[in-house]
Amino acid sequence: MDTSQLLKGVLDLAVLAVLRKDDGYGYDVVRRLRAGGLNDVGDASVYGTLRRLYNAGMLTSYVVPSEEGPHRKYYSINETGRVRLAESRETWRSFASTLDGLLEEVAA
Amino acid sequence: MNTQALGVEYYLAGMRAALDDLPPNEVAEIMEDVEAHVAELSTELGENETIEQRLGSPEQYAQELRSAAGYPPRTERLPVTTKKKLLSRPRAAAWGLAIATGVTLLAGTAALREPAILLLPGVILVLSLALVHDRGATQAEIMALPETIKIKEWLTPEAGTPAERALAYLRSLQPAWWLARAGLLGLGAVLLASRDILGFLFVAAIAVVSVYAGPRAKTDRRWLWFSLPASALAVGLLFQVIDTTADNLAYNNRSVYQQVPSMPQYENIYAYDENGKLLTNVLLYDEDGNPINAPRQYYGCSGDDPQPMIPANRYPRPKIDYENGTCYTVAPDVSAPSSTEDTPPSSSDAAPSSPVSPTSVSPSK
Repeated sequence: MDTSQLLKGVLDLAVLAVLRKDDGYGYDVVRRLRAGGLNDVGDASVYGTLRRLYNAGMLTSYVVPSEEGPHRKYYSINETGRVRLAESRETWRSFASTLDGLLEEVAA
Repeated sequence: MNTQALGVEYYLAGMRAALDDLPPNEVAEIMEDVEAHVAELSTELGENETIEQRLGSPEQYAQELRSAAGYPPRTERLPVTTKKKLLSRPRAAAWGLAIATGVTLLAGTAALREPAILLLPGVILVLSLALVHDRGATQAEIMALPETIKIKEWLTPEAGTPAERALAYLRSLQPAWWLARAGLLGLGAVLLASRDILGFLFVAAIAVVSVYAGPRAKTDRRWLWFSLPASALAVGLLFQVIDTTADNLAYNNRSVYQQVPSMPQYENIYAYDENGKLLTNVLLYDEDGNPINAPRQYYGCSGDDPQPMIPANRYPRPKIDYENGTCYTVAPDVSAPSSTEDTPPSSSDAAPSSPVSPTSVSPSK
């Protein structure tokens, strides 16, 4: 099964999750997702997701100057984002356990 | 390195073109992310690797980003509007900033005389910032203007050259300049305080905000619309303060030279009536009733001076003779006041030869 299709639905959740503890700029978020095991995540999808979460008011951003190269725009999760993260986690847990149950029946 | 830098520019240009149907401020925000991304990625590339191999074509990147961000699919714009306009808003804003900074420098040299002149660059700044205020903190469009790129090239000489070291050193002084700038602006405000309260408030506000604006401009280039003119104003004020101080010094030197008071030359004053008779115990006062005291002091008479206190404005003053460490008051030699040639009876004997009418020496109250 193509995991990139699955990823589309939960990328919001994954991005919010990796920003939960530390702020990060775009490429930082990509690296954290890959380090967490989401090897197939596309750079552009992550950047797009960041923009969407930002426009939905779940992230704030600030620019950090860099001596070499362009400035880096960091994203940090705000209260709205944390609430959404908690809700989405519950949704995901119940969805995953439902699906696990279905798959158990198939295996049995 | 150069081909990679070209590759980055090319890739970003392709991205911008693929996004140009979106609102400009949104494009600016996206490009802020993407510029840093592509720049960082380009440093990780292998020998014969290109950005396209890692990220796909700019169009693919843009399309994936759009769908993840929830933007509408690409709509074709009319070719006319995608053409580069010569006078775009970013360009007008950049030139407005440059011109306003120059005008502020000139106005700064006159700001202490006429603070209202600062309104002119102020208006230009507000208008030019309004053009690009919605284009994001990094002002990517202005940074991509050919003239801006040229300036950036000048300001980044090759590493290791003296010019590069000098610039790096100057950069390290930047925080100190922010403080010095606030100090200069504060000084300007103080100098204005007595004459123009509005000007004082205006310049003082600039001084206070400038401390905040310096570091802020590092992360949000829109603060440059405040920080650059504030620097220009500080330099202009510095010129003016130096100019005024130099003028004052020259004036003081001249006046010290010219206004040598005449009184110190006199040790004593002898008044004669019209018959040539020396008047004694004359008390001299000026028009305000203040005693006129010859500046010479009676030195050397210690506390246990046997002489009674003599009013300092009573003329002729008794002569003081110092003998064996004590003072003696000697009545002035009436016939021939000595030691000063300027006193009226300079022609040795009693009567003054010139028919000078006596001056009234009574208090004029």
